Amino acid sequence: MSDLREVVSSGNHLAALAGADAGCKFMGGYPITPSSEVIEQMSDLLPARGGVTIQMEDEIAAVAAAIGAGMAGHRTMTATSGPGISLKAENLGLAQMTEVPLVVVNVMRGGPSTGLPTRVSQGDVRQAKNPSHGDYRSITLCAGNLAECYTETVRAFNLADRFMQPVFVLLDETIGHMHGKAIIPTEEAVQAGIVPRKQFDGAPEDYHPYECEPDQPAVLNKMFTGYRYHFTGLHHDKNGFPTEEIETCRKLIQRLEDKVMLHTDELESNEEFMLDDMTGAEGEVLIIAYGSVSLSAKEAIRHLRAAGIKAGLFRPITLWPSPADSIKKYTDMIKNVLCVELNIRQYTEEVERVSSRLDIEGLYKVNGRPISPYEIVNKVKEVF
Amino acid sequence: MSTKTLMRFTGVGGQGVLLAGEIFAAAKIKTGGHGLKTATYTSQVRGGPTVVDIQLDDEEIYYPYANDGEIGFMLSVANVSYNSFKDGVQKGGTIVVDPNLVHPTDEDRKMWNIHEIPIITIAKEEVGNVITQSVVALAIANTMMNAIDKETLVATMLSKVPAKVHAANIKAYDLGEKYAREAMAK
Repeated sequence: MSDLREVVSSGNHLAALAGADAGCKFMGGYPITPSSEVIEQMSDLLPARGGVTIQMEDEIAAVAAAIGAGMAGHRTMTATSGPGISLKAENLGLAQMTEVPLVVVNVMRGGPSTGLPTRVSQGDVRQAKNPSHGDYRSITLCAGNLAECYTETVRAFNLADRFMQPVFVLLDETIGHMHGKAIIPTEEAVQAGIVPRKQFDGAPEDYHPYECEPDQPAVLNKMFTGYRYHFTGLHHDKNGFPTEEIETCRKLIQRLEDKVMLHTDELESNEEFMLDDMTGAEGEVLIIAYGSVSLSAKEAIRHLRAAGIKAGLFRPITLWPSPADSIKKYTDMIKNVLCVELNIRQYTEEVERVSSRLDIEGLYKVNGRPISPYEIVNKVKEVF
Repeated sequence: MSTKTLMRFTGVGGQGVLLAGEIFAAAKIKTGGHGLKTATYTSQVRGGPTVVDIQLDDEEIYYPYANDGEIGFMLSVANVSYNSFKDGVQKGGTIVVDPNLVHPTDEDRKMWNIHEIPIITIAKEEVGNVITQSVVALAIANTMMNAIDKETLVATMLSKVPAKVHAANIKAYDLGEKYAREAMAK
């Protein structure tokens, strides 16, 4: 039997379906366009599968409730748009510090503040990297087509349990509201791929949830199973109680960094579109884009190739941590590089950083309208 | 690329323009092709300007919006969204407006082939259910664009509306088709 199925749906509905299929048992949400269809769909899906969806009184309460469910040991999620992430930021920091797995779907619209409701934007890319203060590493996945609204949300749940921290799934208004055909894994295939979060099964007196290898996440046993520990946003010891002991504090924060950055091979995911025939010859064009903009870039590449310009797309799917080595490889090889974003240079700066190049060209738009393939074609012809 | 059909529906939230796009996309997919509906609307769900781009193609569709200047057909039931989104329609393209709600300028009439069909009134008075306006619109678009085999489209439409209103929606489709034919014959 095939592990794939064809569905006709929207990006937001596919993100919700992915959560339900991946074993999410709780959603705490507060509706905000363009993400509202996620919670609307979850309010149908989860109760039918023994789970709970609650519309809380605001975004802060929504993420707090979701974190609570995560602390209790359940797969849990929230969904919102940029203004909601701003409100949730403090609690997202708490989840980073306490190492509570959580999936956060952000369907991006124009910002800052309440911004441009609710036209398309990719203005939350930088925010996703560091929504809250302090040192930690964000894991941020970005769907670039309908199927990925499903598959990347599933992946987010698995990564949240593996790394024991919040994982962002960035959609944008275009992807969230697109409606068409998607080929996605069956629910059975998704469930077969679930690796539940680690549990300690020794004697309760030997259990120290935050005493772990320096590059590994905490092991948080489910609540109410006889293992006692403490959650705090303060620097904490092996049992989760506040401490100022300098070596414990240092190790804790270094571990939050290293548990992600020493395992980026488990996180990286990219699409390389029409790059396989690139040789580094003069005139070749590398476009870097992600999310809905990559769809426009693909069509632009069709037009460019038809006009005799050899162009290809590198599309990071895991935005944070960035696929530094892959970006370096292509930007070393190809001279003409164009970043296309629905923000102003938010990812271009990362491309500049990892490529050590300051001659990266950019096409940016921040008026709530999508970037059309022709705009990309014209930009390529203009700057290269 | 010649097989591509591009349509744009504009209105305000609550008028059902989203559903019409969904039906088109689903029907095209049912026939083995590619269909994509991409909607954008404001946070003001009821009453905010709404636009839906519908692309039907035999090839895979990447860019989810209709390129400005390439749209062959637009239907509009709200003046605010008509003005915001009409420029995407190609010169000489067809625009259907509800004349009670949308007021094209003289320049517009020179630029495009504009038909006036009182879509809301037809739904409200002839079908007897204002909600069926999206199906009247669906029928008008399909009749003028000859985009999808009627039987497939109607079957897809019926699969997306409650059984108790099937008869009303079939009536709405037939009326939309009739008015479209009359408008085209003028």
